[in-house]
Amino acid sequence: MSGGRKRPAPAPFAGFSPFARSLLFSPASGYCKLPLPNASAAADGPHQENAGMPPPPPKRAKQAEPSSDDEERHSSDADGASGSDSDSSLECSSSDGDDASQELETVQADFAFFDPKPSDFHGVRLLLKTYLDSKPWDLTGFVDLILEQTTVGTVVKMADDEEEEGEGNGGDKGDGGNDDDLFGLITVLNLGRYGENRCIKDLKEYLLAVCGNKDSEKKLKSLLEEKASSVGLLVCRRFVNFPYEMVPKLYDSLFDEVSWATEDEPTQELQDSFRFKQYLLVARILERKTNPKHNAKNNKDDDEEPVIYPKLEDEIFRELSSWSFTFPIRADQSAQQEMKNYKEMGLVMCVKAEAIPKFRKRLEALVSE
Amino acid sequence: MATRIQFENNCEVGVFSKLTNAYCLVAIGGSENFYSTFESELADVIPVVKTSIGGTRIIGRLCVGNKNGLLLPHTTTDQELQHLRNCLPDQVVVQRIDERLSALGNCISCNDHVALTHPDLDKATEELIADVLGVEVFRQTIAGNILVGSYCTFSNRGGLVHPHTSIEDLDELSTLLQVPLVAGTVNRGSEVIAAGMTVNDWTAFCGSDTTATELSVIESVFKLREGQPTAIVDDMRKSLIDSYV
Repeated sequence: MSGGRKRPAPAPFAGFSPFARSLLFSPASGYCKLPLPNASAAADGPHQENAGMPPPPPKRAKQAEPSSDDEERHSSDADGASGSDSDSSLECSSSDGDDASQELETVQADFAFFDPKPSDFHGVRLLLKTYLDSKPWDLTGFVDLILEQTTVGTVVKMADDEEEEGEGNGGDKGDGGNDDDLFGLITVLNLGRYGENRCIKDLKEYLLAVCGNKDSEKKLKSLLEEKASSVGLLVCRRFVNFPYEMVPKLYDSLFDEVSWATEDEPTQELQDSFRFKQYLLVARILERKTNPKHNAKNNKDDDEEPVIYPKLEDEIFRELSSWSFTFPIRADQSAQQEMKNYKEMGLVMCVKAEAIPKFRKRLEALVSE
Repeated sequence: MATRIQFENNCEVGVFSKLTNAYCLVAIGGSENFYSTFESELADVIPVVKTSIGGTRIIGRLCVGNKNGLLLPHTTTDQELQHLRNCLPDQVVVQRIDERLSALGNCISCNDHVALTHPDLDKATEELIADVLGVEVFRQTIAGNILVGSYCTFSNRGGLVHPHTSIEDLDELSTLLQVPLVAGTVNRGSEVIAAGMTVNDWTAFCGSDTTATELSVIESVFKLREGQPTAIVDDMRKSLIDSYV
């Protein structure tokens, strides 16, 4: 558009949801240390502003000490969205006023893992909105499926939410939006058990349609059809600013629940449905665009990564996968300055169940670096 | 008649469209499905115009209008303004206004006679609203929320407001607006009514997650069911002359 008027900054997410407000009104009881390993902070930096996810609260927590003062100054953020966001949310954030070099605010947050419940519908739906591309599919059915499977699957929320709901006062909580504030989700769905559900049919159709590679297509077809009863669709979605220390615990809780389910489920059939031989994953990556003009000045391009993984564990999965393929995403691409050399691609991977312990070890190692 | 639709897997249809008694605006992008649903319901009656505002697709939340006029935020480009002026009927006054609160659709909710606005709106804007849209303007909050444009939606025949609106507030608003109001939800419990649906005097479009209960509440408060042919057969039967003896 060359009309000469500037675009407004994207509307702050906090306008509709208490998401940002609840994060900042977080409980002062206890706190979690959120020091970030420098490696992941650097890697997370460029793609954190990716507009694919709702904008994160203005700053990450860098220090754990609570402070009592309200903070008036805050470093101006390149991301315009949080500018207007911070104005209304600043009175609740606290930061260490003495430390002049400290530009980041401290946010205290207690996260907890819960079993999926029907009331998590909107939060889960929000996380899964970009799971497949923009083509309409039975997303609602998919969300319902995830919420019904309470034995295997975890949602991550603020620690206080569950207690409020437990008081049995129905929908009369002061802030009705509390139960919507999901930060992360992980679950695995047996493709054979749910094969008749419309959402799984839509998903299978979609994956077969976007698979460009003949070889992978054959393998994918066999996975989705003959072998479906031993294949688990591993779904892990979280907001961009999800603290990385919790990710190994998230995966641990999932694989533990899967192994408990093979013993605890009421019927033999259900127990067998959790004995997965393979896991199928659908993820997003950013691939560098190959621009013919750039080949002339190839030195500049060597500094940039060929592929960026918004979720770091996807890189580990890809290395351990038996096969994988990528497909282009048609939905609106991010217009961020740092990201203009990259285009968003979908990544489908198949990981054998035997590779999981190796994955868990490597994930622990990655986080403890 | 209320129809369930979605925009690219998104049930917030009130964000990507704006429906009035004289025209309908629809966002660009999304599949042709979205646009064609509107077209099939409305094509013969009112123009359905594809547009963007300020290069964005969230047109339903950025603009506000009724059969008399359409107000656009300062972020609207000149091309978009011209496009809208060309496509909309002549009696609809299209005006771009300079207001700090640029998401006009979130701040103002109106029908053809009354408008409710955000309490912090400029006085100048309030006058423009009264002028261009030909309405009486009231500064109000809905269930303690200042974004009245988001949490309520009303036509000339009825209105739906945030579920936590108290009975007193409902009565007060109903008196102001002179239409029956009901507190309810859309899209399976979403409180952001105006984002989840869009309505005019004879039809409504709701997100595809809207439950049957929510849909029946919407059809009854906006009096949409009465447009059905069955109304003639059931209600008016006694006054119809079937045959002469």
